[in-house]
Amino acid sequence: MHDFDYLEPETIDAACAALAAGGEDTRIMAGGTALILALRQRLVMPLRVVSLSRIAELRGIHQADSGEISIGACVRHADVAQSPLVAGHYPMLAHLASVLANPQVRNQGTLGGNLSYADPSTDPPGCLLAIGAQVVLRSVAGERRLSMEEFLVDYFETALQPGELLARIILPAPAAGAHGTYARHLRTAAEHRPMANVSIFSAGSLARPKKVRLVVAAATPVPVLIEAARMLEDAMPTCAAIEAVASAAAMAIEPLSDARADGEYRRTVVRVLAARSLAGHFGLPGDAS
Amino acid sequence: MSQHEITLVVNGEAVTRTVSARRLLADFLRDDLHLTGTKRGCETGVCGACTVLREGAAVKSCLSLAVQSAGSTITTIEGLSDGVMLHPVQEAFMVCGGLQCGYCTPGFILSTVALLAQQPHPSETQIRHGLNGNLCRCTGYTQIVEAVEAAARKLHAD
Repeated sequence: MHDFDYLEPETIDAACAALAAGGEDTRIMAGGTALILALRQRLVMPLRVVSLSRIAELRGIHQADSGEISIGACVRHADVAQSPLVAGHYPMLAHLASVLANPQVRNQGTLGGNLSYADPSTDPPGCLLAIGAQVVLRSVAGERRLSMEEFLVDYFETALQPGELLARIILPAPAAGAHGTYARHLRTAAEHRPMANVSIFSAGSLARPKKVRLVVAAATPVPVLIEAARMLEDAMPTCAAIEAVASAAAMAIEPLSDARADGEYRRTVVRVLAARSLAGHFGLPGDAS
Repeated sequence: MSQHEITLVVNGEAVTRTVSARRLLADFLRDDLHLTGTKRGCETGVCGACTVLREGAAVKSCLSLAVQSAGSTITTIEGLSDGVMLHPVQEAFMVCGGLQCGYCTPGFILSTVALLAQQPHPSETQIRHGLNGNLCRCTGYTQIVEAVEAAARKLHAD
């Protein structure tokens, strides 16, 4: 592996100062599961690595008086999976964190690292977009808060600017009657990176939802919010409506096409996965595909 | 490039070494501490042969820098047995034939120890889910699952 300097600041301010001083040959490391692989394969060759692992401020999951739930960027997936706060208010996210990758990666990899790396073939970003999460970014210039739509820019690209780090993820105050469903398609049972996934988040009663957000991810460079799912709002969900939304989702995306799956195959998987997941979410009979 | 003096507890013994920032935990354990029970397999974080326990949690030592483990407690396969008696999980893998070539076995055994610490009586589904970060190309997994079930019965006999 290419050699580098390794810094372990103990506060966010010190980390931001190190990033500002380091310039563009500096990379941030959280758990390291993704960055160390990229370093080993010489996909990145930084002169300095700033580790966030000793920063206590970046850990912990808390609920504010406003009801918002804040997840520190360096909270590990295993901690998200076991958090009573997350499981109580956003069980879809707790479930997702319990199946992400494999036990070893969940014990080391962090939610903030996962989002900042912006590899599309993963679980959390689409789910967080569906539930309307936000991210808080820090730099020497201060703090800014972005929606997931603003943060997730493109294939392996986020809105993070040089010198900026992701400090925490904010889940909105839990809404009345909120329900979430996360489902994914793995190419083989042994492959842990989803080829496609869908996240559904609805508020109000399931028999007549007030709000429905459907997000397709992993099949696309960045998660896509499917506008057509809003046709399920303020109406009784039917098999026909679900099938229409699933077809619209499949047509709305520009799927990735690579060695793992052809774009048209991903589109078909998205339609079937969306139809089945919507049916499951709203308690309608079986497989609408 | 930066050098770091790190102190960590490996298999119950405090060790202090100076490592370069890029030293992988797997290489530190094998080449610096001569604990060669930790295997380098795929070296891309897929196969799990390099699994060790950090603070009791399974991690892949090929995806971890030695410097990240400063101040931590590490258990490798050499640390499970007391030198006379095998650990019950080791014993169960032997008795049930949960191995053939043996290369993946240290990783599987450490993942099993971590799994059984969290789930004392896992179902077959939970066993397969709990071990899905480890690959075995010989056994077909059936006897590995049986070994985990046998170890659970022995460790947590009610």
